[in-house]
Amino acid sequence: MSDTIDLALGVLDHQIVDSEDFRCGKVDDLELEGIREGSPRVEAILVGAPAWRGRGTMGRLAAALVRGRMVRVPWSEVSKVDSAVRLRKPGRELGLARAEGHARPLVEWIPGARNEG
Amino acid sequence: MKRIFEIALGILAAIGGFVDIGDIVFNVAAGAIFGYQLLWVVVIGVGAIITYSEMCGRVAVVSGRAVMDVVRERLGFGAGLVALIAGQLVNLMTLAAEIGGIALALQLLSGLPYRVLLVLGVLALGVVIWVLRFEWIERVFGYVGLTMLVFAVAAIKLRPEWNEVASGFVPGVPSSNLAVYAFFAVGLIGAATVPYEVYFYSSGAIEERWTPKDLGTNKANAIIGYTLGGFLSFALMIMAGALFFPLGISPEALGTVALGAEVPLGQIGLLLALVGVLFAVSGAAIDTVFSGAYNMAQFFGWEWGKYRKPVDAPRFTLGWIVMLVLGFVIVVTGVDPIQVTEFSVIFSVVALPLTYIPILLVANDRAYMGRYANGKVANLFGVGYLVVILAVAVAAIPLMIVTNMGQG
Repeated sequence: MSDTIDLALGVLDHQIVDSEDFRCGKVDDLELEGIREGSPRVEAILVGAPAWRGRGTMGRLAAALVRGRMVRVPWSEVSKVDSAVRLRKPGRELGLARAEGHARPLVEWIPGARNEG
Repeated sequence: MKRIFEIALGILAAIGGFVDIGDIVFNVAAGAIFGYQLLWVVVIGVGAIITYSEMCGRVAVVSGRAVMDVVRERLGFGAGLVALIAGQLVNLMTLAAEIGGIALALQLLSGLPYRVLLVLGVLALGVVIWVLRFEWIERVFGYVGLTMLVFAVAAIKLRPEWNEVASGFVPGVPSSNLAVYAFFAVGLIGAATVPYEVYFYSSGAIEERWTPKDLGTNKANAIIGYTLGGFLSFALMIMAGALFFPLGISPEALGTVALGAEVPLGQIGLLLALVGVLFAVSGAAIDTVFSGAYNMAQFFGWEWGKYRKPVDAPRFTLGWIVMLVLGFVIVVTGVDPIQVTEFSVIFSVVALPLTYIPILLVANDRAYMGRYANGKVANLFGVGYLVVILAVAVAAIPLMIVTNMGQG
């Protein structure tokens, strides 16, 4: 990766990976500050269905159809940006990927659900 | 030595994994209607899947991101969502067709009722996916699918006019029946490039933890594996061209296809053909099931991978279970799997640019790929095939309507 990162191409819509190497959402939108002052900076990553509202017609449509909470991850929690946006902490400590918790009971009763694939 | 062995194993799996219900239907129908005249199109189709999957594999190895990740990164949320929906619809149709193919092959082998075999087939797929490790799933079905080589033996035994076969590799346009010819050309390219192959292939590179050291394996799998897989397509078309074309029969059923091995080789030929078809189609069904779950997870950012415990990637696990159930629901309504196959192949051609273009862009992006970005050769093929894929995508639906699905 080069030193400068294009926010639109290099961050937005990229995979978020936590400190335990689990995938925990996409960069659904970005919160920028200081645009009026002429020194814009990224304050936070927005993750979750409500964040799609800012992403055009299809985004508004999808956000209206899918329930979910928006999680705001302060940029200070980002440790590194390569092909993924990597976090300093486990996703659950930041409130990410909570839906995995809702889905888990649906599969964990199946024999072998705790075995390595 | 161990490395060569591994590469060889991968190639074998790629050969067996290349052929699915779409290849069987389109190659046999093309051979039955046009003899050997469309063989050259298969060459173009095989070139397309080599180019496409080599890029997908390389991007996955270098960046750790599979096809639908890249699609969303490059197209953004809105257009990416359109690509996802199109991809999933094609995946579902393909899956339904493959499941139907499993039941048809089982029916020819056992004589039991079709719907009973649908249920048994889907349950068996579910158990296999749940129990077997990723590497084994890929290989078992690839290897046993190699018994489809019986069609190559059959094609030779049928004593085709080899000079006519050879002239089929020279691009040409027939004097009549042009629209149907073009429809089958589109279908053959579509059958060779069904999108689940690259979704599965790129995600598989990440499942198997490939690193840049494996880029050689990636290239070998794509080039040698798919080229040899292409020979199976040739065999099917030559067999149909030698057997059905002179008789004016256009096989509408899988049983007729298997006849192509039975006529020259007897009962054993029939048995091998059916087992080969069964495993090739089952392998394709499993790849498609996974592809559906990979796509959802990669678009929405869920944890995914067969290498994870199911409880550690629960949405992904539910994703493939739901895929399997939906595929079953579609075929159990009684739709004809062969017709579903034709639709799935034609629609996959229409949707292909939506995933091909982002991959081509990323494979060229030095900020992303560093020294592994496309070189001159990769770009010559990459851009050349972009033109082919766009042309075929535009032509697909009009040809489907004009020819009434190739009926003329």
